[in-house]
Amino acid sequence: MVLADLGKRINNAVSEVTKASVVDQSAVDGLLKEISNALIEADVNVKLVLNLRKKLKATIEAEEKPGINKKKLIQKAVFDELCDLVDCKETELYKPKKKKTNVIMFVGLQGAGKTTTCTKLAVYYQRRGFKVGMVCADTFRAGAFDQLKQNATKAKIPYYGSYTEADPVKVAADGVDKFKKEKFEIIIVDTSGRHRQETELFAEMIQIGEAVQPNQTIMVLDASIGQSAESQSRAFKDSSNFGAIILTKMDGHAKGGGAISAVAATQTPIAFIGTGEHINDLESFTPRQFVSKLLGIGDIQGLMEH
Amino acid sequence: PFGFLRNLIGGKKITKEDVKKVKSALSTHLIKKNVAPDVANSLISEIEKELVGSTTANFTSVQETAKKSLEKQLIKLLTPNNSIDLLKEIQTKKANKQMPYVISVVGVNGVGKSTNLSKLAYWLLQNNYRVLITACDTFRSGAVEQLRTHVNNLTKLSQDKQQIELFEGGYGGADLVAKIATGAIKYAKQNNFDIVLLDTAGRRHNDTQLMAPLASFAKAANPDKIIMVGEALVGTDSVLQAQNFNKAFGANRHLDFFIVSKCDTVGDLIGSMVNLVYATGIPILFVGNGQTYTDLRTLSVDWAVSMLMS
Ligand SMILES: Nc1nc2c(ncn2[C@@H]2O[C@H](COP(=O)(O)OP(=O)(O)OP(=O)(O)O)[C@@H](O)[C@H]2O)c(=O)[nH]1
Ligand SMILES: Nc1nc2c(ncn2[C@@H]2O[C@H](COP(=O)(O)OP(=O)(O)OP(=O)(O)O)[C@@H](O)[C@H]2O)c(=O)[nH]1
Ligand SMILES: [Mg+2]
Ligand SMILES: [Mg+2]
Repeated sequence: MVLADLGKRINNAVSEVTKASVVDQSAVDGLLKEISNALIEADVNVKLVLNLRKKLKATIEAEEKPGINKKKLIQKAVFDELCDLVDCKETELYKPKKKKTNVIMFVGLQGAGKTTTCTKLAVYYQRRGFKVGMVCADTFRAGAFDQLKQNATKAKIPYYGSYTEADPVKVAADGVDKFKKEKFEIIIVDTSGRHRQETELFAEMIQIGEAVQPNQTIMVLDASIGQSAESQSRAFKDSSNFGAIILTKMDGHAKGGGAISAVAATQTPIAFIGTGEHINDLESFTPRQFVSKLLGIGDIQGLMEH
Repeated sequence: PFGFLRNLIGGKKITKEDVKKVKSALSTHLIKKNVAPDVANSLISEIEKELVGSTTANFTSVQETAKKSLEKQLIKLLTPNNSIDLLKEIQTKKANKQMPYVISVVGVNGVGKSTNLSKLAYWLLQNNYRVLITACDTFRSGAVEQLRTHVNNLTKLSQDKQQIELFEGGYGGADLVAKIATGAIKYAKQNNFDIVLLDTAGRRHNDTQLMAPLASFAKAANPDKIIMVGEALVGTDSVLQAQNFNKAFGANRHLDFFIVSKCDTVGDLIGSMVNLVYATGIPILFVGNGQTYTDLRTLSVDWAVSMLMS
C-alpha cells in the first residue's frame, strides 16, 4: 500500500527513540530529522515539514517528566501531527441527498484522472441507490467525450455530451438541465484539465461553475505530484472553492505527500482515493485510519487514552 | 536569491560546520525546486569537494564558489553528451531507403504521451515527412478517438492532405498491441510513409505485469527511438519512473530520449527534469510547454539552469 515505506520509516524512528533508556535531546533531534527526511522524500511540501518539525519539537520539549510518559508522548505527538496534515476537522464532507438534485463538478490539472474518476464516483453512488448521470463539459481535449462515453457505457451510467458544441459552459448547462428535468439525483460534471497559469481556462472553470451551481466541487489530484501541489491547489481553491479532494493513482509507487500538502494548503479534506484504472478502483478515505495504518498502529484508541 | 548563504557564513575561515550549513541550504533550495532529495544530495556532495578544496576566506567568495559549482553541475548534467539531431538521423535512414523510421512513446498514466506524440507529428509534418500515427493504446477508453481527432486536426493543418494518417486496430489485449505495431510498419512501407509514431498505453512503473509487455512490444516493433514522456509536475517518483522504464526493454535496449511535458504548469519548479536525467543519463529531446501542437521546444540548458538557481 502507498505510504507504507514512509510509515515504516517513521515508525522505526519513533520506536528507536522510545526503546532507548533515556530519551535525551540528541535522540529527539535525531528522530525529528529522520521524520522530516522521510516526509520530504515523500514529496510533502518543504515548508510544511519544517513547520511540523517545529511543532513536534515544542510538544515534546514541553513535557517535563522523563521516562515512559515521554515515549507515549512522542508517539502521540507524531500521530497527531500527521493527522493534522491530512485531517481537516471543521470541514464536513458533502453528503448527497436522495430525491434531490446533487450536482458534483470535477476540476483539476491536466491528466490528473478526472474523467476516469467521474465514472468511478458515478458507480459508487449508483450502487448506493442514487440515480446518477454524467455530463462531459470537456470540449477541449481530443477524444474527451468518447472517453467519458465509453466509460459510462461500460458502467451503464446515462451520460450527456456533444461532438459539435464547442462551448463547455453551454454543454454543462444543457446536460445538467436535461438530467434535472429527468429527476436525476446525482449529476456529475467532468471538465477539462487546466492549470493556474492559464488565466482564460480558469475563467472558463468559474463560468461552468456559475452555470451548473454545483453542490459539491471536487479537485482531483495525482498522488505523484511534487512541490507544485501547493500553489496549484491554492489557485484552484481560490477560483473553484472545491470542497473535497480525490487522490488518484494511489496504486502507483508515489507516496502522495505532495497531494497531502494540498490538503494542508487548502484546508480541504480528501474524500476518496483512486487505486487503479478500473471503475471499481475507488476507496473512501478516513484520515485517522489512514495515519494509523501508516504508522502501523493497530489500536489508536489505546494510544489516545494514555 | 542566494542571500540565505550570507547568513550562514560570516566568518573568515571556512569550517567544516560552515560547509555543512551551505550544503543543507543548497539542498533545501533544490528540493523546493522539486529535485528529489537523493538527487539533490548527490549533486551537492560534488560541490562539497570543490568548497573544501578552496582556500577562500570571506563569505562572498564562498557563496560564489558554491553557486558556480552547483551551476556547473547542472549545466553538465542537462547538456547531452552527443548532439541531438533527430532530423538528420531520419534523413540518413531515408537516404539509405530504409524507411519507415519508427518512434514510440512510453510513460506512466496521463503524463501527456498521446498529446506530445501529436506535437511530434506536427513537427515532422513541418519538415515534410509523411507520418503514420498508430494507436497502440488499446486499453484506455477513448484513446483511439483521441488520436483520430489529432490526425483530423493535423490533416487540416497540412497542405498535402495525404501527409498524415491514423493506423488503428480498436481495443483489446496485449497481443493486439504488437499486431497493430507490426501491421502499421508494414502498411507504412507499402504506402511510403516516412515515419511511424507508436502511441502506447500509460502504465504504472511499479507493476511488473504492466511493464513486462513493453519488452516484447519493443522486440516486435523494434523502434528506432523509444521516448519516455515524463511530467514536470511529478515529484520524487520521477527518479524511479525513469529508472524502471529505462530497464523495461531488456538488457540490450534502453530509452533514447525524454520529453518533459507540462513544463508550463510548474513555474520555476522544474526539478523533475533534473531527476529524470540524473537517474538515467538519458538526454531530453524536447520539453512540452502547453496543449497545442506548437508547444514543443528543445531544452534551453541556460534557461533551465537559471530557473533552478533562481
Ligand atoms: N493507475 C491508475 N491510473 C489511473 C487512476 N485514475 C486515472 N488513471 C489513469 O490516468 C490517466 C489519465 O486519466 P484521465 O481520467 O483521462 O485524466 P483527466 O484528468 O480526465 O485528464 P484531462 O481531461 O486530459 O485533464 C488514464 O490513463 C487513466 O486510466 C488510478 O487511480 N490509478
Ligand atoms: N499544460 C500542459 N498540458 C499538457 C501537456 N502535454 C499534455 N498535456 C495535457 O495532459 C493531458 C493528458 O495528456 P495525454 O496526452 O492524454 O496523456 P497520456 O500520457 O497519453 O495519457 P494516457 O494515455 O491516459 O496514459 C491532456 O489534457 C493534455 O492536453 C503540456 O506540455 N502542457
Ligand atoms: Mg478528462
Ligand atoms: Mg495516451
